Parts: sequence; C-alpha cells; structure tokens
Amino acid sequence: MLCPLLALAGAIVFLLLAYLALAVPASWFPSSSDKQWGARDFTLPSGTGGVVNNELIVTGTDASGQAYVAVTTDLRARDYAVITWNAHDVPANVDVHFLWRTDYAPRKIFSVPVAVNAGRLLPVVLANDAGWLGHVTGIGLAVSGKLPQPFAVAGVVAKPSGALGILRDRAREWLGFEGWNGTSINTIVGGDDVQPLPLPLLLAISIALALATLLLWRRLRPMQTKVDVAASIAIMFVASWLLLDARWTWNLARQVQATIAQYGGKDWRGKHLAAEDGALFGFVEKARAELPATPARIFVASEADYLRQRAAFHLYPHNVYAEPKSNELPSSDRLKPGDWILVYKRRGVQFDPSTGRLRWDGGAPVSAQLKLRGEGAALFLIQ
Amino acid sequence: MDILGLLLGLVLIWAFGIACLLALPRRAAPADEPGGIAWLIGAGGLAGLFLATLWLRALSFAGIQFGLMAIGLPLLVFTLALGSWAFRRGRHTTHDLWDASSGNLLRNSFSKMSAGLSGRSQNGAARTLWRLLLAWLALRAALLFTEVVSHPLYPWDSWTQWATKARVWYELGRIVPFERTDVWFAASGPAYFDAGPHYPGTVGLIQVLASNFLGRWDDTLMNLPFWILAVAFAFAIYGALRAMEFTALGALAGTWLVSSLPLANTHVALAGYADLPLAMYFCVAILACMRWLRTREPADAALALLMLAACPLLKIPGRIWALLALPALIVGLLPRAGPRVVAGGYAAAVFGLLLLAQTSPVILGYQLHLDFAPDWEALANSFFLYDNWHLLWYGVIAVTLLGRRQLMAPQIAPLTVVVAGGLIFVAFVLLFTEARNWLSDQSTVNRATLHMAPLVVIWMLVVFREWAQTLQIAPTALETMEPPTDVPQPASVTAL
Repeated sequence: MLCPLLALAGAIVFLLLAYLALAVPASWFPSSSDKQWGARDFTLPSGTGGVVNNELIVTGTDASGQAYVAVTTDLRARDYAVITWNAHDVPANVDVHFLWRTDYAPRKIFSVPVAVNAGRLLPVVLANDAGWLGHVTGIGLAVSGKLPQPFAVAGVVAKPSGALGILRDRAREWLGFEGWNGTSINTIVGGDDVQPLPLPLLLAISIALALATLLLWRRLRPMQTKVDVAASIAIMFVASWLLLDARWTWNLARQVQATIAQYGGKDWRGKHLAAEDGALFGFVEKARAELPATPARIFVASEADYLRQRAAFHLYPHNVYAEPKSNELPSSDRLKPGDWILVYKRRGVQFDPSTGRLRWDGGAPVSAQLKLRGEGAALFLIQ
Repeated sequence: MDILGLLLGLVLIWAFGIACLLALPRRAAPADEPGGIAWLIGAGGLAGLFLATLWLRALSFAGIQFGLMAIGLPLLVFTLALGSWAFRRGRHTTHDLWDASSGNLLRNSFSKMSAGLSGRSQNGAARTLWRLLLAWLALRAALLFTEVVSHPLYPWDSWTQWATKARVWYELGRIVPFERTDVWFAASGPAYFDAGPHYPGTVGLIQVLASNFLGRWDDTLMNLPFWILAVAFAFAIYGALRAMEFTALGALAGTWLVSSLPLANTHVALAGYADLPLAMYFCVAILACMRWLRTREPADAALALLMLAACPLLKIPGRIWALLALPALIVGLLPRAGPRVVAGGYAAAVFGLLLLAQTSPVILGYQLHLDFAPDWEALANSFFLYDNWHLLWYGVIAVTLLGRRQLMAPQIAPLTVVVAGGLIFVAFVLLFTEARNWLSDQSTVNRATLHMAPLVVIWMLVVFREWAQTLQIAPTALETMEPPTDVPQPASVTAL
C-alpha cells in the first residue's frame, strides 16, 4: 500500500518541479517580497466610480469610452516579475491593458494587454518585457469599451514570483473558499475561479506518471519488485480522490459556517429578511397584508429578472404573473378590475393620485388605487 | 414540535417504502444476501417518497384536501398492514430468520441486519478503514444536513419553477394546473403561471409532503426530504455493491465515491432541483433491473418499474433515461444477439435524429440542428479541470481503456449499454441542439451529466474489478502449471 502512495507523492513533487520550471519567470528564490496596494491607494483619473467596502467600484467610462485606475508605486522592476490585479466582474467584452511608467523613460507609458477570464484579470508577467526596467513609479489599469455592469478592483500585488511564491499562490487558489453563488448549482470550480494549475488535472497526471514509473521499475527489476498493478491504481486513485474530497469537505464546512452566521437561530421570516433580497421580502410581506385572503390575480413588474421572479415567489399562492425573461407588463386591456399590480424598482410606471389613473410604458391608463407604497415600490389595485 | 412532526413524517414515508418492498413477492428474504438489508432500506426510502407523491396525486384527483390526516393516517395504516403481512409471510418462507422453538426472531433479524450493515465481515485494517470511511460519510451527511435545514431555498430554478408549485399546492391543499401565458390569460383565475409551467410536479409534491408534516410553509425545512433521499440512496448503493459481491470495504468505498461527487453534494445542500432525484431514481432503477436479471425476483422487477416510472415524473429528460432500461434488458436477456440489437438501435436512433435535425424539429423541448461546433474548452473545464466530479471522468477513460475487453462481459454488458446510451444522449443534446450554449456558459452541461453520474461510478467500479480479476487469474494460472520434471527449466519460467 505504501509503495503506490510513495510513487504518487513522488510524481506530484516531480510534476510540481516541472511546472515551476515552466512557470517561474525569473529567479527561483528572489530576495524581495510581495508589495501590495489596496483600493484606497487607487485614483480614478478617467471614468466614474468610487470606493465601497474596500473595493474600487468602476461604474462607467468617460466620454471617450475609457476608464483608468492608477497607483503611485516605487518598485525596482527587476525584483518584481508579475503584477496581479485583484478584480472581479470585469466584463469579457472590454479591452483591458496594464500600464506603467518608469524613471528610466519617464515620458513614456508602457502597456501590455491583460486577459479576462471568468470576470477576473489574469496575472501579467513582465519579467521579459523590454519596458520593465529601472524604478516603476506608477502602474495603472486602462479599460476601454462599453461597461454593461460595474466591476470592482480590490487591490494589486507586485510579486517577485519565485518558486515558493508560485506554490503558495497555487495552494491558495486550491484552498480558496468557494461560497454558494448563483452558478453553484451548475458548476463547482474547486477553489478560486481562475486556476493556472487545477488540482484534479495535477492529480490525474500524477497517477499516470506514478503508474508508469512503477511499471517501468517492475520491468527493470523484475526480481525485486512485486507490483500489483490493479491495487496500485486503486490505491492511487482513491488517495487522490480523498485529497480532492478533503478539500471539498473543508469548503463545505466553511460554507456551513457562513450559512449559520447568516441564518442561524432565525425563523423562516427572519431568514428571508436576512437573505440577499431581504428588502424585497419585507415589502412583499406588507403587500400580502393588503391582498385579500383568497388568492388574487397579481402582476409583478421589476426591471431585474431576479427581483421580478423573487417577488413572484414570495407572493404565491396568489395567482402571480411575472414574465420570466423580459421586463414587460401586459397591455392594460388584458387586466381586469380586481387585479393587482406590484411594482418594484421599475421605471416607466406612472400613477396620478388625483385622477386615480395608472399607466405604464406609454400605454393606455387604467383606473387604479394605490394600496401601498415603499422605496421604489408600490402596490396597486385595478378598478 | 413542528420539526419533530416533519422528522416523524419522513420516517413514516421511509418505513412505508420499506414495508411496500417487503410486501412484494420474493423467494428469498432481504437478509439472506449480502447487502440485502441496506438495499431494502435505501430503495425503500426512494420508493416511499415517490409512492407518497403518487398518493398526493390520488388525493387531488379524488378531490380530497391535503392534510396530515389525509396523508399521514393512510400511510401509517398501509405501513402497518403491509409490514405485518410481510412479517407473517416471512415466517414461512425465511426459515433462518425464525427460530420457532426459542422465539428469538427479532434477535436473529437484528443480528443479521447489523452484520449486513456494519461490515463485520471485515478484519483488521479493512475493518478500521471501513469505520473511518463511514465516519467520513457521516461527517459529510452532518454538514449537508446543517446546510439543508439552515439555508432558505436558493438556486434560481428552484424558486422560479419548482417550489412555486409546491407553495400553491400546499396552501390550496390540492394540485391546480400551471399553464403557459396564453392559457393562463384565457383561464382568468383557475390556472397558475410560473417560469416552467409544463415541468412535472413530483419535486413540488415532495415539498408539499414535507410542508404538510411540518404544518406550515417553510422553504428551508421543506427540503429535508432531499437530504433523506441522499442518505437512502447511499444505503441503496452500498446494498447494490454488496450484492455484486464487493467486499464491505469495497462497497463502502464505492458508496463514498458516489456520495462525494461535489455537484451531487451541491444539489443536496442547495436542494430544490429535480436533477439529483432523477439521478438517484434512474440509478436505482437500473440497479434493480440488474438485480432482476440476476435473481428474476418479481420484487426486483416491480421496484425497477416503480423507479423507472418516477423518472419522467421528475423531469422531462427522465423519459429518455427511463427508456435506457430497455437496452439493459435486451442485452441481459439476449446475451448473444442483444449487444448487436442494441448497437443497431443506437446507430438507428442517432442516424434518425441526424436526419430529423435537417428540419430543425423540437424534441422534448430541444431544437435539433446539425451545426456541430462544440466548445471543447468548456467541455474540458466541466469534466476535467473543475472539481464538479473529482476524478470521475479521468477514471472513466482509464477504465474504458484498461477494461475494454471486459466491457461486454455478460454481467457487465447491461450496465455498459446503459452508460453508452446515456453518453450518446448527453453528447447528442450538448453537441447537436441549442443546449450547446449551456455548455459554453456551464449552465446545464453538468446538471445533464449528473443524471447518469452515480451509475457511471458504479459501472466504473464493476469494470475495474473485472479487469483487476483478469490480472489476478493470469499469474495464478501460470503458478499452477507444473512443468514436467525431466525437462530443464529456462530461466524466465523459473522467474515466474
């Protein structure tokens, strides 16, 4: 049992060394350490946005379609081979460039493109770039293109990217907490969203390499080696699976901890008020108090699919109508007296209290009574 | 108190399922074969929950309002009646369970049951590993339980098209139709609408059952049956593997491999989708078919039919999954001609679909087209680079290569044709329909694969074991071949 495990461990070490040989951009054991800057060190010379919860939220570009995030630095270029931006929700359709300025050529701004993957910015390797010389006095991020949604930049790190640093980064990515999100039901990444060396791949190749080594050893030393091939495969496969499973179980345990922190000790109502759509739930609870006890026909209007569908869910067992994928309300002639309309964060709905007329999207008005009003929300009864 | 009611209700449903299976005609008692008790407990859990949803359909059809009395009381009566009938029948057919002279039936039964479940047949290190593995499984179950009872309904479809029905049916106390937009407007009242009005109602009915036992609407606790299903499924897998003559440790390791698939765990923790229940019912259906092919017990046939019936009532693709039992039966019943018949059938089906695709028809909601341009990167991410499946698909490739000569061995061939059929189905949907987009954005590819993943794990184990046995047979045969004493031995033979 020990022999296959040792072979597997040896294969993992060998593959990691081979990976480092390819991935270390400069010195294997650099003397400098990481340098990092947070959102409060950033300036936004062009584009719109601000710092929220220690993240710079870039909400839009300037008139020329550019946003530029800048940081003043004092780096010796040769000590730092890689720049890593900690950003998320970066749209895939925008053009992102890393910019820097040095004391070597102070009038010139250098730039290299930055790849976007799953809303994240991939690390920029600069060790062999001709412009990465002298003292780097400022770095920045230029984003051009239309921003369909805001994106966040939490920080930037300059890394010497030695062997230990790279191994630390990979381990951190593998063990990164992957909490529940909207896509969890569809896919589990297994740590950070972006991983240059996924753990399942490393383990699978390690098993193959270890097995090949064992077989080769058996062929070369048939007298001294007694390898049970099937048992070796089974042991290495199970050990690797266990390693992945331990990581996954650890992630699950952290998720349970987070869930308990958010919902622990709360009743059903309390949990919903503590959920992401707590404000909406609170308004729907008030609306339900206005609605009749027997199920009523009610139309839900909201610009965001999420809010429209969540409002609908909270309103059942009333007979709810919410367009699943479009922000459309039926025309007024499809409504009848006794129907209700719940509006939540939606433009284009106008109510004239003096005449009691309600209209939406420029259509024909209908008689309605305002039964409840909230922040960006209202409940109407059609008359 | 309400949670206690929920737990009691779910235990009752589980017991009801076990009683139903016990009452089915059978020649041998479950305790008579390895893993029989675990299989009974596991499959009983799945059967009980599905039968209980059928009971809700019957109540609604008869115009009887849902409620604790309308659901709990009949289930209790059925459980007691079927259980006692099976108990009395078992006295006459299962001699080793009944020691009439000393009257120690219960002691013997429990002794057999605990021996079957506890891995007592193992010794030394194997037994220690068995216990460690069980503890590891228990830890996972505890974490998932905590998550299920703490987190309100979370994933998108669960509250746009599954639990919507549960809420309405629970509050109204009956099943009312959900219709498409035009029908809903035309009906002006009696029909309801959600994002998936045409979706089957079994998931909603499972949540209605839980809500009735709970006595109130709670979109957190109503998902507890999904955790129960996962636990029952683990029992069933263990029992099935033991019946396939895996050792207790091997069977528990197989159970762990199935139970530790991260995407399956996610579907327990974030319960409310139909994909994992479909995977469980489909897997147990095929395993029951395999048992029937081996035992020809009517009870196994009945269970297989029940599990297959659940598939289309859980999710629309369940119709195709249920049909895949047919190739397994053909190959199992006709070991010589069956594989050729099935291969011809698959080829004809693929050819027919490719022909149909010329006209862009919509089948089961999928629009076919012949624009073959798969997103290989997304495919690699899903199956090999992300941790959706741990090492499952690497294992499948390795086992297919290593055990290629064992794939169509008589005892494996039925499973192989189901797995092959499933892979063809998933590949066809993902490569030749608009579902290709769901591959690129990772939205459905893994959920579609989840339907067959537990069965694929079992298939992988069975093929690997078969291959490993061939390795053991070869040297043994050589060792037992005694050369004639008067012939000088070459060095190579001596080395062997």
